[in-house]
Amino acid sequence: MPFSTFSLSVAPSNRPPTESCEEREREMSGHDSKYFSTTKKGEIPELKEELNSQYKDKRKDAVKKVIAAMTVGKDVSSLFTDVVNCMQTENLELKKLVYLYLINYAKSQPDLAILAVNTFVKDSQDPNPLIRALAVRTMGCIRVDKITEYLCDPLQRCLKDDDPYVRKTAAICVAKLYDINAELVEDRGFLEALKDLISDNNPMVVANAVAALAEIQENSSRPIFEITSHTLSKLLTALNECTEWGQVFILDALSKYKAADAREAENIVERVTPRLQHANCAVVLSAVKMILQQMELITSTDVVRNLCKKMAPPLVTLLSAEPEIQYVALRNINLIVQRRPTILAHEIKVFFCKYNDPIYVKMEKLEIMIKLASDRNIDQVLLEFKEYATEVDVDFVRKAVRAIGRCAIKLERAAERCISVLLELIKIKVNYVVQEAIIVIKDIFRRYPNTYESIIATLCESLDTLDEPEAKASMIWIIGEYAERIDNADELLESFLESFPEEPAQVQLQLLTATVKLFLKKPTEGPQQMIQVVLNNATVETDNPDLRDRAYIYWRLLSTDPEAAKDVVLAEKPVISDDSNQLDPSLLDELLSNIATLSSVYHKPPEAFVTRVKTTQKTEEDDYPDGVEPGYSESPSHAVDSAASPPATSSSAPHAAARQPVPATPAPVPDLLGDLIGLDNDNNGNGAIVPVDILHEGPPLPVVLPASTGQGLQISAQLVRRDGQIFYSLLFENNSQIPLDGFMIQFNKNTFGVAAAGPLQVPQLLPGTSASTLLPMVLFQNIAPGPPNTLLQVAVKNNQQPVWYFNDKLSLVVFFSEDGRMERSAFLETWKSLPDSNEVSKDFPGIVVNSVEATLDQLAVSNMFFIAKRKHANQDVLYLSAKIPRGIPFLIELTAVVGIPGLKCAIKSPSPEMAPLFFEALENLLKS
Amino acid sequence: MGIVFTRLFSSMFGNREARILVLGLDNAGKTTILYRLQMGEVVSTIPTIGFNVETVQYNNIKFQVWDLGGQTSIRPYWRCYFPNTQAIIYVVDSSDTDRLVIAKDEFHAILEEEELKGAVVLIYANKQDLPGALDDAAVTEALELHKIKNRQWSIFKTSAIKGEGLFEGLDWLSNTLKSGGG
Repeated sequence: MPFSTFSLSVAPSNRPPTESCEEREREMSGHDSKYFSTTKKGEIPELKEELNSQYKDKRKDAVKKVIAAMTVGKDVSSLFTDVVNCMQTENLELKKLVYLYLINYAKSQPDLAILAVNTFVKDSQDPNPLIRALAVRTMGCIRVDKITEYLCDPLQRCLKDDDPYVRKTAAICVAKLYDINAELVEDRGFLEALKDLISDNNPMVVANAVAALAEIQENSSRPIFEITSHTLSKLLTALNECTEWGQVFILDALSKYKAADAREAENIVERVTPRLQHANCAVVLSAVKMILQQMELITSTDVVRNLCKKMAPPLVTLLSAEPEIQYVALRNINLIVQRRPTILAHEIKVFFCKYNDPIYVKMEKLEIMIKLASDRNIDQVLLEFKEYATEVDVDFVRKAVRAIGRCAIKLERAAERCISVLLELIKIKVNYVVQEAIIVIKDIFRRYPNTYESIIATLCESLDTLDEPEAKASMIWIIGEYAERIDNADELLESFLESFPEEPAQVQLQLLTATVKLFLKKPTEGPQQMIQVVLNNATVETDNPDLRDRAYIYWRLLSTDPEAAKDVVLAEKPVISDDSNQLDPSLLDELLSNIATLSSVYHKPPEAFVTRVKTTQKTEEDDYPDGVEPGYSESPSHAVDSAASPPATSSSAPHAAARQPVPATPAPVPDLLGDLIGLDNDNNGNGAIVPVDILHEGPPLPVVLPASTGQGLQISAQLVRRDGQIFYSLLFENNSQIPLDGFMIQFNKNTFGVAAAGPLQVPQLLPGTSASTLLPMVLFQNIAPGPPNTLLQVAVKNNQQPVWYFNDKLSLVVFFSEDGRMERSAFLETWKSLPDSNEVSKDFPGIVVNSVEATLDQLAVSNMFFIAKRKHANQDVLYLSAKIPRGIPFLIELTAVVGIPGLKCAIKSPSPEMAPLFFEALENLLKS
Repeated sequence: MGIVFTRLFSSMFGNREARILVLGLDNAGKTTILYRLQMGEVVSTIPTIGFNVETVQYNNIKFQVWDLGGQTSIRPYWRCYFPNTQAIIYVVDSSDTDRLVIAKDEFHAILEEEELKGAVVLIYANKQDLPGALDDAAVTEALELHKIKNRQWSIFKTSAIKGEGLFEGLDWLSNTLKSGGG
């Protein structure tokens, strides 16, 4: 009975607790263990078993179950190896499923993903082209750094495959690979291979190569894909034969081509115009884009007129598609008519709104109707607008009313007709129609001064119904502007003044200005009182700085010189024109070149809503000075010493005497010595170092704070190791106009707890001068938690400028201590004593070892000590050791073939989490 | 009764696939051996980053042979393939005397795996065609095979290129598995 056993062990007894525990365990294993080992396995172990079944059908079913679980969001990543083991199969269906699984989970199992490599390599050589293409496509979708380079050879083969389907899939794969590792793509010559594919005899391959190159170009800041006259003819030929989406790729690429002259442009356009008849809207829009771009070069007006005529019908046809496509088309047409209104000048009827158009389509149509409105069609258009103004959708009605006003402003000859329509609408007395009408009438007054003021009386009738700020502000502006023509202007304004404090800022500003105008035009008692109230309200009572400032300006103007105030406030206003919704020409240019993309729908340049990582070509940075010399072995106690001393970033003198760690430093630096003596003189014994003129030989320090950011102060800095001590080598350059002094420095928490051992000693910097300094550093002061990283955040301040913050990099190289050499036997023993899980390896395909000796010398300079060497086939295998503070050793195995790119590095260390830092340091060291 | 008997019989010699792992350091000749056994010819190979799996029918036994890559980077993943393994073929490059120590270490590490406790071990002292290749006795010495306890093992001199010794080894393996060694 399980119950009795439990009660037994719970019951108080005089047995010692340990014994009772053991007892319980024994009893449980005897009777109750069955409760813990359930016979029902979990889903995952069950699947695992089925995946390893010897029957193919069962394995296939199991993989299907796994994919099903994956699709509904269950984590089946733990079955990775079991699924991958099903990958080598004749069954295409099963293979596809495994590939699907791989794409999904390779990222979460980057180490195990390597197990799939061989199968990919095999499949990419399969006799069946479908399998070859499948393999190369899947490879491109696996974004795991570790395996990408293994996939280069298969990719290279597939780019030259006999089967066009495989080639076109491989072309796309190159673009994907470029996104993962641009350098690799360039090193392996894949870009050239892609360019070769443009001359492929299969149009689909050409189209995909173009698509891949265009995508790579978008992610690169270097010119990679440029169409030449040779490729041009290839593209134009392929255009006629490839699929619709292939045509889109080619047309998009062609639209970027700069034709040599008008004749070439004409020829290209002629080849492309048949695409305008295509059923696919994307093809039509891309063709329109391409033609518009080339038209810029065409000088013959006949040709241009002809082309415009040809482009109209396809654009009109787009408007008979679904509303969503209509919307996209309308947004693009909006751009097109801004550049070339003639294309659709005679087609305004197709933009008339249908009663059942969705609102977003109606709004866009209105916009285009305004743009196409002309003296010839305005009557028709006004009739439409008037009709729209009586519809039910408020936003649409408002836009229609506004459209009438905008047409009035745009077409002088039609202005009167427009205004009469507006007045008719005001008479309907629908609140929002009236308000919208008043807003546009204000603009009409500005456009045609002294022409239509007779209607003011009609407007004033609707004064009470106004409740929206913009309408109110417009009406108040009209009253102020035409105060002399409105008999009861003061009364009208006064009615608004009562609620002045509650009005929105927009209305308050207009009230203020209108009252001032009224006062200047009718300086009688009533207005005088009003202006007192308004000025008081707008200066003393308000929190709004805009209102207050404007009120003060009026106040001062009025109190100093009322005549001048008149000249300023009542000055003649320039005539306005309607430029609302008109795009800036350069923006329009950019948007036109992006027709048929999201950019042309948003009316925003792509940069505004897409963040793209441009892969810039890595500049050969010489991160580490060659001048670092191997120093004497340093006793480990030094690190402890300096670690024990508190961070010495303040220069307070009283503490200085108590803390003198630097004189105790073994093997002091010669440079330091003189300064140490000098330090006693200025009674500043913090162990810091004063500027030394020529501290830094070798390559210039990297700039960490450019002058453009630092208001003229430029700082270059780098951590360096000199004779067993770590320094921060700094160069300050004052490019500002003022002398800078009082420099101080502070380091944020970082992986190694690097901090300054003393205050920064930089003299006053006159404009145009510079100073360099070596700041001694200590370790393990403020250690940042979390996994190791190379970030070193630094703050520098001076007495004249704000605090500057910049990021520097910690390179593991400077931490390699001089006592890192290991005996052969010790090395072997340590290697064996460390578990395999502590071994990390990485390949550096870009590094070439040209001479073993030179490489060893180079590494020795950075305190990486050579232990042994052996030859394996044609490879040289080198064993080295290094040590970072706190006695953490690194056991290093380098494998390379002399003269051939590719170095493999495996390291073993008690702190394998440092491996990424190590590899980064090694790469920087050997790259130079 | 008759049905039961047939099932028993076929399970021993027919349908049942014996799961075999081919292990060894990189460049030992594992992939070449696999395809020599399967197709009877020498294929050109590249380093296996991952695995190959083929079915080899020999002496009425179907072997499901897993050839795993020998690179240092892949060795840690061998253990993923250990469960349910009846036999291991451990391939040694007899001419790579420098790395026999590593081969030995890896070998003994495998033998200590709990999941491989019941697996039969066949060692191929491969690349006998190369000059300077150690013979089976020397390889036995170098791999310290005499330390193996509680396990059936055998070593054969082979040359995958010439096709020598491979099937002799497979004979031993099939006989051992048939007699219940697996």
